[in-house]
Amino acid sequence: MAEATNNQASGAATTGAAPGGAGAPDRPVKVVGIVCNWCSYAGADTAGVGRFKQPANLRLIRVPCTGRIDPLFALKAFEKGADGVLISGCHPGDCHYSEGNYYARRKFELAERMIHHLGIPPERFKWTWVSASEGQRWQKVVTEFVAGVQKLGPREGKAL
Amino acid sequence: MSRQDHIREFAANALTEKRVDYFIGWKQGYNSSEMIPAFVTDPAEADQLVWNPLCHHNLVTFIKRNMPEPADAKVGLCVKGCDSRTLVALLQEGLVDKDRLYVVGVPCDGIVDRRKLEKMFSSEITEIEFPERGKVKVTTRAGETKELDQKDVELIGCAHCRYPNPLYSDNTAGPLEKEPDREETKPDWSALEQYESLSDDVKQALLEKIYATCIRCFACIHVCPVCVCWDKCVNRSRQPELVSQKVGPKENLLFQMVHMFHVAGRCPSCGACDRACPVEIPLGLLHAKMNKEIYDMFGFEPGVKLDEKPVFQVFDLKDQFGD
Ligand code: SF4
Ligand code: SF4
Repeated sequence: MAEATNNQASGAATTGAAPGGAGAPDRPVKVVGIVCNWCSYAGADTAGVGRFKQPANLRLIRVPCTGRIDPLFALKAFEKGADGVLISGCHPGDCHYSEGNYYARRKFELAERMIHHLGIPPERFKWTWVSASEGQRWQKVVTEFVAGVQKLGPREGKAL
Repeated sequence: MSRQDHIREFAANALTEKRVDYFIGWKQGYNSSEMIPAFVTDPAEADQLVWNPLCHHNLVTFIKRNMPEPADAKVGLCVKGCDSRTLVALLQEGLVDKDRLYVVGVPCDGIVDRRKLEKMFSSEITEIEFPERGKVKVTTRAGETKELDQKDVELIGCAHCRYPNPLYSDNTAGPLEKEPDREETKPDWSALEQYESLSDDVKQALLEKIYATCIRCFACIHVCPVCVCWDKCVNRSRQPELVSQKVGPKENLLFQMVHMFHVAGRCPSCGACDRACPVEIPLGLLHAKMNKEIYDMFGFEPGVKLDEKPVFQVFDLKDQFGD
């Protein structure tokens, strides 16, 4: 393995991988949010009802429970060209089904580390907790996250 | 008595006593430098079984879904240290029936990386011998012979092996190997350092290059002893479709990430997938990293204790992940 990566790494280095910025298309970033029905989706709703201004780049996917959010959904989004992926669910202790998010947070933590291992910068993936009543927190989370992704610009993923 | 003699004796006895319907071990392949899995049903045939540092196949893969038929057959099999961890992982989740197994543990001193060896010679290898412990003697078709230190041509995982002795077995083939002090020496992932030091863009370009050649043959998944869904595999499913049938670097890497996530907590980095891949994709680059992070998160090593559950099947209220 070490040798395989060795050869190919030097090969990649000499072909001069273009950084995500240079030559990348100039367009608003696309961010996918994967949220659980009971907390974060409702939290986004609360933010909407409260008329808190939110970035328009975010597309939400509603999932029945945080425990149903497979880390592979995030990787699939990257494969399909998302510039950033945000995962959000109920705070620990608040899961509608009692324990979905306790399982989920173990998986998300591993997913986050593996996503970085693939060369996707930390700014492009985040997972957090937002409850149904935290409209303001939702606004803060998405505004900051989308701003971070926008700073890196549209993603020119070569592998995934 | 050599380990090989022990294996033959255990196999012959188990077959004679009808303790097993068949016994799975290793035998010589089409030439003297290649070992292949052997299925023995007749005690008289037990002497075809061999043991040497070329016996890399993880035989646990043959029992992962109670195959082959008949479904109620009692099966004997040999396991090395790393193989036994995949067996323990299956037992932890009740994926195989302990009562139908007869396990011969084979303490292991390291397995030779045949691909590494092949790349060292310009001519085809016709014979690999082991004149003494720790030495490998290679003969090629061109008549060249060379003696090498086994340590220099071992599989990448063998150098820092923490479990050379099987963790689960009914009988052991000969004396145990010397084990590292596992309290003192933590797992070693130095093989990952070079990749980890690369920049994000170089990593992406490198992965694109590596995964461009995957032909989606599924060998890595079929050979993996702990990848157990078979025809329910989401990698094959078109409805729902997670992984496109298209073969390209992105799809191929996603395909491999499915495998990786689905064996997280069970995979002990046995390396069977690496060795099965016909295009030499360094799959260990993902699996070793996954195990490194799992160890960092939970202090957990997959397939070590029978009474443990894999970390992603349980949770702890005291987990400190997330904000
Ligand atoms: S993923 Fe590869 S290294 Fe891990 S258990 Fe399966 S075959 Fe072995
Ligand atoms: S064994 Fe190699 S080529 Fe075959 S599917 Fe797995 S990674 Fe791809």
